[in-house]
Amino acid sequence: MASDQELIIQFQASTNREANFTALLKKHQQKVYYQIKRMVTDHVDADDIAQLVWIKIWDKLDGFKMESEFTTWLFRIAYNETLNYLQKQKKQGTSPSNGDLLDYENASASADSPKSTEIQIGLERALTQLPEKQKVVFMLRYYEGFDYEKIASIVGTTIGGAKANYHQAVKKVEAFIKQL
Amino acid sequence: MKKDIEKDMELNNHNNTETSLEQDRAWADSLLNKQNLVQFNLSTTKAPIHYFDSFPDQLMSRIESEKREKLEKKKAAIFFLPSFMQPINRWAVAAAFIIVVGGSFIFLNNSVSKKAQAPIVANNISLEQISSEELESYVDTNEWIAEIDVQAQMQKENAKLSSLDAKQIQEIEKIINK
Repeated sequence: MASDQELIIQFQASTNREANFTALLKKHQQKVYYQIKRMVTDHVDADDIAQLVWIKIWDKLDGFKMESEFTTWLFRIAYNETLNYLQKQKKQGTSPSNGDLLDYENASASADSPKSTEIQIGLERALTQLPEKQKVVFMLRYYEGFDYEKIASIVGTTIGGAKANYHQAVKKVEAFIKQL
Repeated sequence: MKKDIEKDMELNNHNNTETSLEQDRAWADSLLNKQNLVQFNLSTTKAPIHYFDSFPDQLMSRIESEKREKLEKKKAAIFFLPSFMQPINRWAVAAAFIIVVGGSFIFLNNSVSKKAQAPIVANNISLEQISSEELESYVDTNEWIAEIDVQAQMQKENAKLSSLDAKQIQEIEKIINK
């Protein structure tokens, strides 16, 4: 499979733009979708945001200078679009729907070990209630395995700030679960 | 209390050292339970079946339709503009404007020049064309103006005479006596 750089160079050279873009999309669409969905939890919202992200990539890929990795740029756009979406919802007075989260909670209600289920539900609630930045940093570090330099570049903070956000996120969730 | 202190110390150690990804994950696992974190990931990252298979095609068709919409909007803007906004008619409007402004300017200038000529015509009348009766009546009616002028002139002359010295007066007397 061609590297991101090769696909971008071919795209920018206007040779078979759609095919190169689609190849790039297929390579990264799942990660982007999962990252967004961890923030908004609802599939419809995540799908909307994901489409906006990729439309932006399509519009701006010609001007991408490859000074940073493509995934850094991609996740930065995904992060910003998700934040915009959440801020819009706050202004409209609607909170993001927790459709899938609620489904999981309902499904887990009949589990054999209620205590572990409670902890799982508590963990999910705690993670969804974290401030956006801490949540994103935690997700990118724990689930995507990004280094702090990359995370800092995505969320617009320092490496130390990213580390602090990660640790604060974990401590807050731990405190929340202990209250259960 | 002791446990809290120990935990804080652990956290400080965690911050001070160069933490690897494994260490960060292990620390979160120890506090939040690895299984729970895995379950969270699964619950929040579920996607509908075949979602990723169809996503590229859906996205590309959306990009195409948005491109078409933008083009149609541009065309509609040109078509449905009032006729005077279209490029050809802009020139016609500009030409009409120039004609109206220029014409009114020329018209106004002409009317001003006609008014200016009227007093010149009056000034061209010569004294010979005026009858002696008219002249006499003018002088009679305006005699007081003439008197005022004479008096003023006399005052001027007197002022001049008073400023003359003895020698100048003797010379004038010699001229008068001749």
